[in-house]
Amino acid sequence: MLGHVGRTLLRLFVTGLGIASVAFFLMRAIPGDPASFMLGDYATKESITALRAKLGLDEPVWRQYTLFLSHAATGNFGTSVVTGQPALQEVMASIPSSAVLALSGLFIAILIGLPLGIVCAVRNGTWVDVSVMLGALAGISFPVFWMGLAAILLFSYWIPIFPALGSSNSKDILTQIYHLILPALVLGVSIAAYIARLTRSAMLEVLSQDYIRVARAMGVPERRIIFKLALRNALVPILAVIGVTFAWSFGNAILIEAVFSRPGLGSMLLKAILARDYQLVQAGVLILAFMVVLINASLDLTYTLIDPRLKAS
Amino acid sequence: MQKKPSFNTNMSRRHMLGLMGATAAVSMLPWDPLSAQTATGVLRVRLGADIGNLDPAKIFLIENQTVAGHIYNGLVKYDQKTNNIVSDLAASWEVSPDATVYTFKLKPGVSFHKGFGPLTSDDVKFSYDRVTDPTGGSAYRGQLASIKSIETPDPLTVRITLTAPTAGFLHKLTAFNQGWIVSRKAVTEIGDKYSMQPIGTGPFVFDKWTPGNEARVIANKAYFDGSPSVNEVIFKVIRDETAAAIAVENREIDIFFALQQPDMIARMRKAKGVVVFERPANHTINLVLNTTIKPLDDVRVRRAMTHAINRKALIDGYFKGTKNEASTVLTPSFVEYSDDVVKYPYDPAKAKALLKEAGLASGFKFVITSVGLNPFDKIPVPIAEDLKDVGIDASIQILERAAYQQARSKGEIQSCITGLVGPPDPDSPLVSLFSTKSFPPGLNTSKYDKVDDLLAKAATSTDPDARKAAYLEILKRTASDQPLIPLYQDRLFLAHTERVQGLIQNSLFTMQSFGVSLKG
Repeated sequence: MLGHVGRTLLRLFVTGLGIASVAFFLMRAIPGDPASFMLGDYATKESITALRAKLGLDEPVWRQYTLFLSHAATGNFGTSVVTGQPALQEVMASIPSSAVLALSGLFIAILIGLPLGIVCAVRNGTWVDVSVMLGALAGISFPVFWMGLAAILLFSYWIPIFPALGSSNSKDILTQIYHLILPALVLGVSIAAYIARLTRSAMLEVLSQDYIRVARAMGVPERRIIFKLALRNALVPILAVIGVTFAWSFGNAILIEAVFSRPGLGSMLLKAILARDYQLVQAGVLILAFMVVLINASLDLTYTLIDPRLKAS
Repeated sequence: MQKKPSFNTNMSRRHMLGLMGATAAVSMLPWDPLSAQTATGVLRVRLGADIGNLDPAKIFLIENQTVAGHIYNGLVKYDQKTNNIVSDLAASWEVSPDATVYTFKLKPGVSFHKGFGPLTSDDVKFSYDRVTDPTGGSAYRGQLASIKSIETPDPLTVRITLTAPTAGFLHKLTAFNQGWIVSRKAVTEIGDKYSMQPIGTGPFVFDKWTPGNEARVIANKAYFDGSPSVNEVIFKVIRDETAAAIAVENREIDIFFALQQPDMIARMRKAKGVVVFERPANHTINLVLNTTIKPLDDVRVRRAMTHAINRKALIDGYFKGTKNEASTVLTPSFVEYSDDVVKYPYDPAKAKALLKEAGLASGFKFVITSVGLNPFDKIPVPIAEDLKDVGIDASIQILERAAYQQARSKGEIQSCITGLVGPPDPDSPLVSLFSTKSFPPGLNTSKYDKVDDLLAKAATSTDPDARKAAYLEILKRTASDQPLIPLYQDRLFLAHTERVQGLIQNSLFTMQSFGVSLKG
């Protein structure tokens, strides 16, 4: 176990260093200058030079790089050039909103996707299977921003039961949940399509195995075969996808955030990239990478709980 | 462990029931959550992008300027309706006959927010000094470059001496960008975080910023011009205009600021209980031609291009009539505006003739460089088509914003699309677009150098008529030389619900809640 933790930590460190370096050099490779972006159309030559010096952009790149790494190692990601706030603080402030959306979306996705996938596998080839899979195909094919706009049109405009704005700063928890439902539903439905398809194929594969046939022959109740014998074995690939989706929805929920006017890590990163806010991008990318590694590591641990055979390897 | 599979039917069923219960609870709630937020006194305004910097020395972008306009005052300000310069923090002012010394008397009893003390002449001096400080990195240093010295004989008197007579200097001190007055104490004490913890003297006090989501300002009950009628203003970031329109229709927001898409303007006009305001903006959108690159150095070629582009069709077609035709870079918002200049109506035949005269009957390669922001990534398409019709081999290059900015400031591209959002100060577009001082860096990417003398004359002459004549001469000369092709005059739109009373739309492309009250 200790070896496992040690290996995870080492992997975290190497991944972090790699991601930090990629973020650092990619940001500097793309054209555009933070100082002139910040100063706008009225900037004079002196003010640009002065601001570049203040931001340390006049230093050679290797020096900026080593400075960045040594500061990042101590948890100091500098301050955002646009807002003057500590970069880490801004990134952290954007996480709760993203986490709530990702978690509730995933919850809805599992709630819809998993049962549908099981039903399809059990009723393989029937009209139920075909129509659900067609629906899932549509769910995968429709871009999430389109679904978001369609949902707003449907549920905020034609049948106005939900607000068009997917976030509220109200202290009332019910109001907050009320604003979250529509974006979470859209995210959930789009992920549910993947989960349903994957559950179906994983279940079909397991159900066709010999031990299932043996169990059936021995008269094990069908319910027990499906949920106890088959689902548990099919769960590992499904969990892997859920993990990836969770990490994905953190950064990529940006389309949903844009449509529903929600704050979040994705839209914060986009804003920072457009403004060439180097410090904020670096902090955001690192934190995002850290979370992905963390989620994957914790998933690795749950695999062994579901499938004890994986413990040996 | 093994007896309890992670997913069993009962479990999912319970979850399902739980969720259904929650949904039912929401729909059966006794209160209506949509209107729960519309407590009287809270004005909700849509912003199209997040704010990020409210420090007047570095501020730009209309969203920042709109929020900052609630927090700060200037010595003087533009009357929102007429654009005349009127008193703000200054009770009165005197200009020496040669227009080199400006003396202001401050209103007594004005205080900064959050206990940062009374406004004194020292704060005014501090505000301008930090803009002109060469190491301060202020964007607006050039705007106040003519200041020689600032004296503060007493706490309520500010005397500004200029290096040269400048009749239009009051424009630079209006409540906008570098004209906003900050507190020496607040800026010094708050330090780096000042840009998002601003302290002003204005009608609203900055309360809270939730990044990517909203900014809140609350009424300054002690405001020198009287307490605002609304208790609080929430600026909500809603990027998508369709979502913003639905939010207005659902009464989730009260004011749709920066309404731009022609479809949404039409939709808001049709919506029940929604009022749409419009007025000419202070800026035009222009196709700027680099007059140092062949064959654009030939005035006949530039004139031919203006004849070739069907600007009326662009306005009526793409913009569905929501913009106005332009022949110069000034708009009717300016006192100095005049339409008495040479015009180049759409005339492909004439364009071809002019090109032939310039020895370019077979055309030339031309690249329109523009920025990947709506509508600037779309309008080059019809323009390129029009240019192709007269034989110019036009192509389009769309760049992301920061990359576009960099390409533009290098000055090696043939053309770019530029519009300068700013105050109704004629120098703002004219100096920025046509003075040799404005490149590099700056927006005179035409590298045009034929009106420096007239700009100097307009700046220094103290006789209002002579000034106006000089500006007219600038407009005539630039229209004749066509270093840039004015594509259209922008028009500003704003929608609000009938609940909003007393709102005045300004031409600065900002929005002011002081003076607004809410009905019901």
